[in-house]
Amino acid sequence: MRIAKERDLYEKLQILSDAAKYDVACTSSGVDRRGSGQGMGNCAASGICHSFSADGRCISLLKILFTNECVFDCRYCVNRSSNDTPRASFTPEEVCTLTMEFYRRNYIEGLFLSSGILVSPSYTMELLYQTLYKLRREYRFEGYIHVKAIPGAPAELIERAGFLADRMSVNLELPTAEGLRRLAPHKSRKRILAPMRQIQLGHARNRQELSLYRSAPRFVPAGQSTQMIIGATPERDYQILSVAEALYRNFQLKRVFYSAFVKVNEDALLPALPGGPPLLREHRLYQADWLLRFYGFSAGELLNEKHPNFNVFLDPKCDWALSHLEQFPVEVNTADYYTLLRVPGIGPKSARRIVQARRLGSLDFPSLRKAGVVMKRAMYFITCRGRQLAPLKIEEDFILERLLCRSSRKSGEPVSYRQLSLFDAGQLLGPPPAELDQTGVTGGDGYGSF
Amino acid sequence: MVLFECQGNVDGILTGIYDAWASRLGHGNVGLRIPETGTMELFAEYRSVAPDPEKAEKVARTIRRRMGERAWQTLYQAALSSRRDRADRIYRVLVLALAPGIGADMAGRILDRLQDPDVAAVFEMSRNVGNEAHRYLGFVRFQELSGGILFSRIRPENQILPLLGDHFSNRFPRENFVIFDTGRRDALLHRAGGPWAVFEKAEMEELQPGRFSAGEEAFRKLWKGFCQSISISERENPRLQKQLWPLKYRKWMTEGEDFLSNHRTSSP
Ligand code: SF4
Repeated sequence: MRIAKERDLYEKLQILSDAAKYDVACTSSGVDRRGSGQGMGNCAASGICHSFSADGRCISLLKILFTNECVFDCRYCVNRSSNDTPRASFTPEEVCTLTMEFYRRNYIEGLFLSSGILVSPSYTMELLYQTLYKLRREYRFEGYIHVKAIPGAPAELIERAGFLADRMSVNLELPTAEGLRRLAPHKSRKRILAPMRQIQLGHARNRQELSLYRSAPRFVPAGQSTQMIIGATPERDYQILSVAEALYRNFQLKRVFYSAFVKVNEDALLPALPGGPPLLREHRLYQADWLLRFYGFSAGELLNEKHPNFNVFLDPKCDWALSHLEQFPVEVNTADYYTLLRVPGIGPKSARRIVQARRLGSLDFPSLRKAGVVMKRAMYFITCRGRQLAPLKIEEDFILERLLCRSSRKSGEPVSYRQLSLFDAGQLLGPPPAELDQTGVTGGDGYGSF
Repeated sequence: MVLFECQGNVDGILTGIYDAWASRLGHGNVGLRIPETGTMELFAEYRSVAPDPEKAEKVARTIRRRMGERAWQTLYQAALSSRRDRADRIYRVLVLALAPGIGADMAGRILDRLQDPDVAAVFEMSRNVGNEAHRYLGFVRFQELSGGILFSRIRPENQILPLLGDHFSNRFPRENFVIFDTGRRDALLHRAGGPWAVFEKAEMEELQPGRFSAGEEAFRKLWKGFCQSISISERENPRLQKQLWPLKYRKWMTEGEDFLSNHRTSSP
């Protein structure tokens, strides 16, 4: 081992958070769990952001590697074995102490635990499992835990860790098997997909158990996610999005994360990237991913072989709408929910509000605004009571120009690369739309007393 | 016009609603007003309303029964808003929802009717309060005092403490903690193993640094270090950081101090 001297906790945390920062998964969402009253912690399904780092990313979890010692030599990774970089390892106790004390002060929503490969995948996974076991059973931590499943570790170990974690992830690393072969010689697509499949099946089996026995232990209740590095290998957006679509469909992933490649190593096999990490591209992929998951779009609708990359200037939904003008304008007072969802400037929340509000009377433009519709985008694509706000001929170039003008007014500003995951679900506190109370009685004279 | 002047807390507003309603002067002839704000109107009669928990409870029960839990949550959150017209807006929405001929299923759905300006205002206030409370679920920072009590100070725009109580007491069932709203001087208190409660106009001594626990400084330092090392320098974007994490929150946050001073040096 290369640990020259005993490092103190501060140094270890510096090294092992610095080494973990390239993992982009930050959310603490996907599971609602009340505390038992015996320990510490609970989970909120919408996820909670606790802070924001200087790169504008949300800090929600104590994101660390257990160790940055690694026997693998992935070319894109700062922890690769051939790099001469300071190394450190936590002990399970140290991870528990940091998690508990940070959580108590409400710094964090929980723990994100990943690791370099120390000795072997099994050895490493065993350490991660030991740590989670201690944290859950000895320290009675009931907050959120996201842990990596290490490909190549025994299935049984992954399974046991899955009963202690809320979310597990196996990184796909690169969009294609070919890319992986080039840049991560110790990894293979097959070995990565195996634990992914295992977690998927385990999750499905557990759901069945839970439907029979409500108190059965829960396996990875917040589901699994993965991430791929964007821009280290030459894939097009269409390929990447198709891979994501297949992962959602075939592996029931909760989230696919995209990580703009940051070049940390000099290596002939890595691209130069003079403009820095491809942040805008990453942003477009997140937007498109959103469209796959919540708007009913498919990858093939957004991109194709002839048009394999996203438009730099327009978000994927506007881009799609402009090439499907024959489907517009739609009348907001009659169009169904899914049609509304396809209108630029209308999202799931505003579409739902429109559908609810119009049951009680027809809508006008001001009430659309109140429902949260972004009119500067939507106005080219909708009519309201037969009227259109932009009463001009709908033409691709015209709208394009207008949409771009609007954004170029602020052209001095960098595009917002905000991760869409920040506000995963509703932000309104309080119960989600529940059944309405049907038991009320109507008062007599409008002055029914309280 | 008779204006019922009520206190700005939830009890005060609900009592005002009760009294205005019970006056039977006709909904068009009454209004609600929170006296600490706004100018006096000419040609109006003022009646001052003393908050009465029993009346407030009756109004709350009626809303829950007739309009459902979800509507209650919306109206309750709107009452916690700092907007001046909140009491009157809520009153107007209740007039709509509890009008004769409105069945139970319709009463709850009145809040979907964003075409109506009062409904839209209540909806907006409620959303605003809910958003602020949600942010504070993450932005509250506790410091450990020497006796082990966790102490936090915040300065929210709206009266959000009651919306934080369930979350934090469920999260930290075995901790004694205080969240202090420094603007209103209200305090949310939780005793280990017990329930939580909000105390209005609580007297809090100013905190002296010596009152923190022995380990407190070390964890502050660890956390601040983490917040710096977790950022990817190639992606640095202070403008985005500021947009998502406005400066007004940072003053009260452990790691916020660092970013406050960073901010000052980087943009004159
Ligand atoms: S396995 Fe590869 S990606 Fe993971 S820490 Fe080691 S070198 Fe980095």
